[in-house]
Amino acid sequence: MAKHPTPLLDQLETGPWPSFVSDIKQEAEHRSKNPKGIDFQAPQDCPADLLGVLELSFKEKETHWKHGGIVGVFGYGGGVIGRYCDKPEEFPGVAHFHTVRINQPAGKYYHTDYLRGVCDIWELRGSGLTNMHGSTGDLVLLGTVTPQLEEIFYDMTHKLNTDLGGSGGNLRTPADCLGQSRCEFACYDTQDLCHTLTNDYQDELHRPAFPYKFKFKFDGCPNSCVAALARSDFSVVGTWKDDIQIDQAKVKAYVGGEFKPNAGAHAGRDWGKFDIVKEVIERCPTKCMSFDGALKIDNANCTRCMHCINVMPRALRVGKEKGASILLGAKAPILDGAQLSSLLVPFVPVEKPYTEIKEVIENIWDWWMEEGKNRERVGETMKRLSFQKLLEVTNIKPVAQHVKEPRSNPYIFFREDEVLGGWTRDINEFRKRHAR
Amino acid sequence: MAFISSGYNPEKPMEGRITDIGPRSFEDFYPPVIKRNKGKWDYHEILEPGILVHVAENGEKCFTVRCGAARLMSVSLIREACDIADKHCGGHLRWTTRNNIEFMVENEAAMKSLVADLKDRKFAGGSNKFPIGGTGAAISNMIHTQGWVHCHTPAMDASGPVKAVMDEVFDYFQSMKLPAPIRLALACCLNMCGAVHASDIGIVGIHRKPPIVDNEVLDNVCEIPLAVAACPTGAIKPTKTDFDGKKINSVSVNEDRCMYCGNCYTMCPALPLADYQGDGCVIMVGGKVSNRISMPKLAKVVVAYIPNEPPRWPTLTKAIKHIIEVYSKNAKKYERVGEWAERIGWEKFFELTGLEFTHHLIDDFRDPAYYTWRQSTQFKF
Amino acid sequence: MEAEKKIIMDFLEGKKGKTKFYFNDLCKALPDMKQRDVKKILTALVNDGKLEFWSSGSTTLYGMVGAGKQHSTEEGE
Repeated sequence: MAKHPTPLLDQLETGPWPSFVSDIKQEAEHRSKNPKGIDFQAPQDCPADLLGVLELSFKEKETHWKHGGIVGVFGYGGGVIGRYCDKPEEFPGVAHFHTVRINQPAGKYYHTDYLRGVCDIWELRGSGLTNMHGSTGDLVLLGTVTPQLEEIFYDMTHKLNTDLGGSGGNLRTPADCLGQSRCEFACYDTQDLCHTLTNDYQDELHRPAFPYKFKFKFDGCPNSCVAALARSDFSVVGTWKDDIQIDQAKVKAYVGGEFKPNAGAHAGRDWGKFDIVKEVIERCPTKCMSFDGALKIDNANCTRCMHCINVMPRALRVGKEKGASILLGAKAPILDGAQLSSLLVPFVPVEKPYTEIKEVIENIWDWWMEEGKNRERVGETMKRLSFQKLLEVTNIKPVAQHVKEPRSNPYIFFREDEVLGGWTRDINEFRKRHAR
Repeated sequence: MAFISSGYNPEKPMEGRITDIGPRSFEDFYPPVIKRNKGKWDYHEILEPGILVHVAENGEKCFTVRCGAARLMSVSLIREACDIADKHCGGHLRWTTRNNIEFMVENEAAMKSLVADLKDRKFAGGSNKFPIGGTGAAISNMIHTQGWVHCHTPAMDASGPVKAVMDEVFDYFQSMKLPAPIRLALACCLNMCGAVHASDIGIVGIHRKPPIVDNEVLDNVCEIPLAVAACPTGAIKPTKTDFDGKKINSVSVNEDRCMYCGNCYTMCPALPLADYQGDGCVIMVGGKVSNRISMPKLAKVVVAYIPNEPPRWPTLTKAIKHIIEVYSKNAKKYERVGEWAERIGWEKFFELTGLEFTHHLIDDFRDPAYYTWRQSTQFKF
Repeated sequence: MEAEKKIIMDFLEGKKGKTKFYFNDLCKALPDMKQRDVKKILTALVNDGKLEFWSSGSTTLYGMVGAGKQHSTEEGE
């Protein structure tokens, strides 16, 4: 028998998509039966009360959570989000319901030994409910009480060799696509770069001293599966500099219908016979390709959009001189509207120990920590103080690739040292040439 | 309950403390076939919706079965996923950026027995635990935020509407018949944890009423300078007000400047925002992050307000499905929703979808607004 | 280091009616020091148990341990 009747939530148990309501109910029942006789350190009926308070929100169409700021583990400024229910008497199991962010492994690969370890700790010390994963990338443990926070941290670090993720005005938990581990398009080792920078910048991740949040995301190629240039302040996107590698025999195999185009991605509808001219040559955004039995690419005019490679992955490969582009400044809409990241470094080789990339990062941080206003993302600092300033502090030479088009107003701010003779002028000298 | 210590000593927090160790290394978790062939993959194919094979240069294969999952997940369900991974995959599994679970095996026979195992697993209520799909020209899993499950500023729930929408479009999750992939996302307020602003179709919760000032307790529970500083539009000012015949310190809200973001409520619990009549969501359309064919673009608001209709948000789910169907019928192969709308023109998008164009859809917020108006006589009647 | 710690603590104690501060605000107490070095002082004060973090989830502030109106309400519920 359920602790709280949930007639509205029950309607989310049917239908084909996995029902979170059924899942929470199964956890509630499991905790109530407690077959392993666990001495739960957080309220046993956490999941049941969560369903109860959620049902109330479904009925009233208003949330019942309050924020609380002073919870965390000693010495860290992030990784824990304080949460309290505004109906603690009715739902005591979730009166305190803090979130713990666990730094996920790069690529979100797991072994069951590790995951079972997380589950055991979280069943004992928390609600038994998680987010796999949070929006930034962390493995999120959803709901525990204040006295358990240090215990969870101690268990995570000692038993599972795992640290917390970020929250607040710090480096947020970095995330990456699966990259070279299982993808032929990836132009660098996203996992290694993500893991290395996460470890190199632990102090920035745990002890907030930035004006606001700062996110790293790593995409292996311009297909951008991890959405780096929309979701991160510092977006690293794999790319290449030389020619797309073509296997003409395999191009012919696609044209002849031997290979499935698009790796089979459009197999669910009859789009007709594969037509290389219509589907590849004419869809190329720069029109730099031609086909006369053999495929030709004018690589100097290619913008590496990936379309032709996506359509014929067995015939075409990214170039051999691989690396990444770095873009800066994506953010959600508040306040002046959403921003995507803007190109800062057109090409950087991505090689251990990543000194060149770290230099860009640290120059940006030094500048933003000095100049950024409270609660200002670096994308806003860039806008306020100019892209030129960003180039100056990162020692990057302006190139035409930085812009989609040059400015259309002539309100150019020159530095005094750029102007012959400087700005200090003698009025008497002027008057010799011009009457008053 | 007897307190079970982890070994942590609250008297001496630094004793035996381990900090700054970061996440576990991915090297600990790679399946062997991944470890052996990292950086040496030759090509991949989608065998059927949700099932991929990656072939290495040496001919070795990695079969991946992708399963949709709710991102809110119990330890019981994670353990079940672990059981499956132990039985079929040598204990290895991974999650995708979009909350899917991927199980990997090394040969076709193992893949088939894995698929057979996954297909039969259902929750007590009847829904699938591990539905297979989400590859290619399909609708993949929807990324979303916390909603009424855990957040203090949501204008809508997240898990509930996501379940309702995914039920409605489930056919597109398990097939690959769309012109191009559609990425769906939901953010339960305009702070937008997650990349809703660059999704093909995004749902964003919005409040429409300024916070209520709880004068009686405000000065006791908040630091007024923090509440004032929290407001991105400068709508909150410190003030003295009469309460119960006494002059007390409080704040006033300039209602015309308020954008209902809830940042003040985060800093000050005496400024509650949620309202059952005011809250609801907008639908945004046409964003993309991939650089494929066209450059990444932000999504645009095409429906300015839909009220909250728990438990299944019928108006919202119907509108989403309708947009998907009109797109699917009219777009060319490879065209993402935003590319299609731009090719035909947004005026045609509204004509074809039958969505009403209202004054709320014209940008009037600061500088970017002008660039969205039409400085041309080129348009379609 | 001890001299700088005292400057920070004096700065905090001198502020009436405000108990939580952005990192940037605290840097004003040590205007000649680089941000990264100010952070080291603050970290030391946190480890000494004198300062603590307050997080809104999206931003973080520093305050003296136990100070502030929200502290009692949060922990008391």
